[in-house]
Amino acid sequence: MRNVGKWLAYSTLGLVIALTLLGCAGGAINWNQEPPYSLVLAWGEKGSGPGQFNDPTGIAVTETEVFVSDARNGRIQVFDHQGRFKRAFGTAGDGPGELGRPMNLTIHDEKLYVPEYMNDRIQVFSLAGEPLEIIGGPGDGPGQFNAPGGVAVADNGDLLVTDFYNQRVQHLRRDGSFVRQWGTTGKTGKGAGEFTYPTDVALAGDGTLYVADGYGNRVQVFDTGGDFLHKWGGPFALGIYGPFKGWFTTATSIAIGPEGNVFVADFYNDRIQKFTAEGDYLTAFGSEPDNPGHTGMAVAIESDGTVWSVNFADNRVEKWQPD
Amino acid sequence: MTGKFILMLSALMFSMAVLAADNQYVLGVDGLACPFCAYGIEKRLHKVDGVTDVQVDVGESLVRVTLQEGKTLTEERARQAVDEAGFTLRSYAEAGDEAGSSDAK
Repeated sequence: MRNVGKWLAYSTLGLVIALTLLGCAGGAINWNQEPPYSLVLAWGEKGSGPGQFNDPTGIAVTETEVFVSDARNGRIQVFDHQGRFKRAFGTAGDGPGELGRPMNLTIHDEKLYVPEYMNDRIQVFSLAGEPLEIIGGPGDGPGQFNAPGGVAVADNGDLLVTDFYNQRVQHLRRDGSFVRQWGTTGKTGKGAGEFTYPTDVALAGDGTLYVADGYGNRVQVFDTGGDFLHKWGGPFALGIYGPFKGWFTTATSIAIGPEGNVFVADFYNDRIQKFTAEGDYLTAFGSEPDNPGHTGMAVAIESDGTVWSVNFADNRVEKWQPD
Repeated sequence: MTGKFILMLSALMFSMAVLAADNQYVLGVDGLACPFCAYGIEKRLHKVDGVTDVQVDVGESLVRVTLQEGKTLTEERARQAVDEAGFTLRSYAEAGDEAGSSDAK
């Protein structure tokens, strides 16, 4: 009987140690967490009129305006920071100026970069909505795309693009010519530098590249030379999904804050998670869906640290500020 | 005369709607809430010969596919498109036969 008690005590101790290690490895246990953000403004509903959305899938923000990918309506809508509609451009289609499911947006040097999931291209617009350039086309060759989901632009104009169904991230010159890629074309992988349906990319001020490895349920980080630095998301970033702090269940968007913090849209967990540049969990916030589906689709950060997100299930734009 | 013409036109439109309904398929596919997944299924099904419309019902995890008159979507072709999008076909049925839909697993 005494042996059974000793066995139980050791088992319990072992379980606690295992759970603690798992928690630390997954990011759920750490000591520098922040309070969550509060929702300060929201607008939108389902529809096709001004201020209405049919699948908002991407967002970008300037000092004065908010740009939203209104995917099924085939357009970009632009609002001021109070949510007042200013203009819209694009219509569903595959010609110049038309859009085939615009996804995660990026603004660089007064231009809007729009990855088009259905048209397999990046289309560049002026912020006023004038179509300027089309980069790439369908395929799995260098500089081609199969459902691009996100794009980042380096200071020299080079593009980093997540190529969702090609399971890779491409580095292209501003004219679309191929430089290199991370990941093996068409093959998913869980190792460092391999991807499982990557969705979005972001560049930090120092040129460090952050990749939202969508169904890999993790973030992967590369230095300016393209070498793998580190990864996070669940235990040992092996692709295990879950609802805990620092875990993901499909990472659909990524953005860098003014202090170098990393914000990740964690779609099926209906939240935005905030991390340090090294991947330490800081906080999380989001909206429970009012409609079938999930909310944490895309995220953008204003220069003052205000967080903007799109709530996919409820067709809304949301603005968040720290408590 | 005008009344007859309108009547004939209405009958024709009704029969076309019935024919179109006969050429719809309902596919059961789980895990379609994320647009990165749902759009992938739509994209692949639109490449199937004769497909004119694809509607994804996230709440019911169903994909409704409409084809031109005379075109068909075989279960094998549907499974291939769904597989290419990274998912598994759970069920397959022609519209109007949803109660008797086959378990495609």
